[in-house]
Amino acid sequence: MSFSTLLGRRWIGGAAMLALLSSCELLEFNPNAHNGSGDQTDLTAKNLARLAANPLPPGDTLRFVFTGDSQRFYEYNERLVASVNQQPGISLLVVAGDISDFGMAREMRLVAERLNKLKVPYLTVIGNHDQVGNGREAYQHVFGPLNYSFVYGETKFTFIDTNSREYNFNGRIPDVPWLQQQVSNLQGAKRQVVMSHVPPQDDDFDKQLTPAYTRALATAPKMVFELNGHRHSYSIGQPFNDGVTYINSHAFERDQYVILTVWNDANDQPKFRLKTVTF
Amino acid sequence: MRLLLTLACIGAVVPALGQNLPTAATAPSAVPAAHPWYRPTHLVLQTAGGMGMVAGGVGYTLLHDRLEADVLVGYVPEKHAGSTLGVGTFKVLYTPYSVRLNDKLQLRPLTFGVYVTHTRGVINDGEPNQYYDGYYWFSRNTRLGPLLGSRLTYGYKSVAHPERQKRVSAYYELGSNDLYLVTYFSNANRKALSPIDILTLGLGVKLDF
Repeated sequence: MSFSTLLGRRWIGGAAMLALLSSCELLEFNPNAHNGSGDQTDLTAKNLARLAANPLPPGDTLRFVFTGDSQRFYEYNERLVASVNQQPGISLLVVAGDISDFGMAREMRLVAERLNKLKVPYLTVIGNHDQVGNGREAYQHVFGPLNYSFVYGETKFTFIDTNSREYNFNGRIPDVPWLQQQVSNLQGAKRQVVMSHVPPQDDDFDKQLTPAYTRALATAPKMVFELNGHRHSYSIGQPFNDGVTYINSHAFERDQYVILTVWNDANDQPKFRLKTVTF
Repeated sequence: MRLLLTLACIGAVVPALGQNLPTAATAPSAVPAAHPWYRPTHLVLQTAGGMGMVAGGVGYTLLHDRLEADVLVGYVPEKHAGSTLGVGTFKVLYTPYSVRLNDKLQLRPLTFGVYVTHTRGVINDGEPNQYYDGYYWFSRNTRLGPLLGSRLTYGYKSVAHPERQKRVSAYYELGSNDLYLVTYFSNANRKALSPIDILTLGLGVKLDF
């Protein structure tokens, strides 16, 4: 072996080592930093692409799993994924925020690593814990936008950041004008669903915005329900007596999740069925 | 509060430096005036380990070269965190034994210690009245954790002061922090997480003079 080959090999070895180190999550600049992501980035866009690649035939009922607050419950996370993978006819899983406990990119990636083992795509909305420290930036790096919407299975989903306390109640979160715009346009869907982390009846929701927010939902066409997390306990009801049903998710630690089935009846009115699964 | 605690720790160590340095074996033949107690004994340059993309600082060697106390200031550019972060670190390291490889090379197979970091520039660090007491039980900017590493040292005589030996060391430090440890040791996560999930790695060089 010539000296130059050896040198070349060493150089390649060195470069490979550097590449390995720069993509290495162990080399964490700070718990508040999100360097070293590897492929754990833009997960919302990636999951939306997976969803779009597997469309539901028109007229089919849509079944999806609803859960929330995965924060720090890794052991439950694995069991939940194993259980959801046994469910037939599921199209996606949605997580109502609080992916992380401390707003750290590393936690978000640990959760994503586990959710990536789902057979179906999963989509998340940001929770208050995901905004601690530089969490809002980490969430956008690992997952994606804080407010977004998409249509799947003739259902429009609007996901919105309602963690008002994390912005110290600045009067702009949730972004009600954006919500109004989203829920007033079904984009060809036959029904719609809204999901956010903090429910509008909670102390962490900006009270100045509660009337405008709930009115936007109550006046929106074909609204099936709003999904929330934050409270770590399941509930279903119409707290504002305005015809809008609010469903709060079980947290991962509660050993339970919900399967929601949505369709339109003979009068083209949205209907849903709810099933609780214990894992 | 934790920052105050950190400062108190530094305060507690600094007087001890003065008492111990004259008997330190690192420079037995050095003229005391040439190396007054308050002058640091080494410079440090490090990457990662939670202490910054780049962190630099100074430190003191105590107890016959076995104990070190370092203070570092680190930097994380906005690109990697969403905001520019400044990271202040205080660490204390202990080396129980070292192995002489040859005339110039020395290996410290094991160094261990603790560190505290305080991070400035955090976006959502909590404003007055933003949260009620106990809303988040943990600090958003101060971390505390253990360190464990090794070090390879190359020693050479100082040209200007032949009586002194200069040393250049390369080291790695595996660490963790309070929140990662809480995560690992709660909720039966030990089955779900691997130790690597809660570890951080810092790489650095140290110049003793």
